Amino acid sequence: MSGFFQVYREYLPEWWPRLLEAARVTAELSSFGFLLALVLAGVLVAMARSPWRALRWASNAIVQFVRAVPLLALLLALYFGLPAFGLTLSGYWAGILGLGLQGAAYVAEVLRGGLDSVHRGQREAALAAGLTPRQVFANVVLPQALRVMLPPLVNCYVSLLKDSSLCALIATDELMLAARAMSSEYFLPLHIFVLVGLFYFAIAFPLSMLSRLLGRRLSRGRRALGMT
Amino acid sequence: MPAALPVILLTLLEGAVTAAQVALGAALIAFVLGLALALVDVFSRFALLRTAIGAYVEWMRNVPALAHLFVLYFGLASIGLRFSPKGAAIVGLGLVGAAVLCDVFGAGMRALHVGQREAALACGLSPLQALRFIVLPQMLRLTLPAIGNYASQLIKDTSIASAIAAPEIMFYARNLVTSTFQTPLIYASAVLLYASIVFPVSWAFNRMERRLGVGR
Repeated sequence: MSGFFQVYREYLPEWWPRLLEAARVTAELSSFGFLLALVLAGVLVAMARSPWRALRWASNAIVQFVRAVPLLALLLALYFGLPAFGLTLSGYWAGILGLGLQGAAYVAEVLRGGLDSVHRGQREAALAAGLTPRQVFANVVLPQALRVMLPPLVNCYVSLLKDSSLCALIATDELMLAARAMSSEYFLPLHIFVLVGLFYFAIAFPLSMLSRLLGRRLSRGRRALGMT
Repeated sequence: MPAALPVILLTLLEGAVTAAQVALGAALIAFVLGLALALVDVFSRFALLRTAIGAYVEWMRNVPALAHLFVLYFGLASIGLRFSPKGAAIVGLGLVGAAVLCDVFGAGMRALHVGQREAALACGLSPLQALRFIVLPQMLRLTLPAIGNYASQLIKDTSIASAIAAPEIMFYARNLVTSTFQTPLIYASAVLLYASIVFPVSWAFNRMERRLGVGR
């Protein structure tokens, strides 16, 4: 067992900078992917709430379809398939696009659930009190919806972070690909993949805890109301 | 050489058989181990055991499945424990799924009122009978939506087994691409194939939920 850790003591100085650099790319992939997912999800939710049935139907169809497709298939299709239509993306951008598309379907569900959780009466009362629809949304509905949305949104980010590991398979220089390269260099796959797992864990676990904490914190007031 | 669509579909279907084997094998491990862990976590008096289960669940859930597969397939091989690609995929996805379902089942059992079990014991049922006839059926009904989500997620996750060369759908798709260069057609077929497996499964779960009146 001590031999196992001895390896780390010996190689960590060499591995650390490379993994840190790769972790930066992983953080970028998942963060930009998440931002794109938020924007696209906003569009999907706006479509789902539009008065036109065709838009509502399209929004639902897109969400259902994307949720039924593995991210890896999406990434390979974007990276290898798009060049046939004259659009060549680097692994980095194909990864962000794929993560954004996939994430959008899940984030859209969260946003929709959050908005639906605000009682209709809130909106009606605010309108009756003379607020404009825009004010109603920004000052009444959204703040209340956010407390429901925030914890699952953090979970969505954690999922995206883990899913960004698949970008290794479209040649993006992130943690997983760096690990694969290093494992064929040093022939210490167990040490390297466990270490890389720790890198993901070090980002994902605190966020998961934060999500749980937020869930308890933000629902405190609500629950008290519900129980009376 | 360009391949005709039927050839592409037949090849991908061959991969679908492997994907189904991986999914079923992993689901079996996930269900049995997940339930066992959840039972220990909920009912055990040993704090150390509960902490260990918590650590297992957090590790499995906060690290990408791909990393787990690489540890199993490449990592363990380096210390002499060799898995076949399919075997590593089944065990890897099964262990991840066990953590997911442990969370789900645990939450489901905690959501039941204590009185359910106490009443069952007071009626003269043995603890095992109370579990079998009172707690588990209600817990499963309560957690059916989450189990359905897990099932469709698992089917999609079988795709990452291609990264350790398990011959499933994406593996064949990539092979076909390198031999025929009909990239868009092949990946579109693969995407549709996944959708046509996932949709019926989630439809079946939705139907079961309605049947059992989940969420009433």
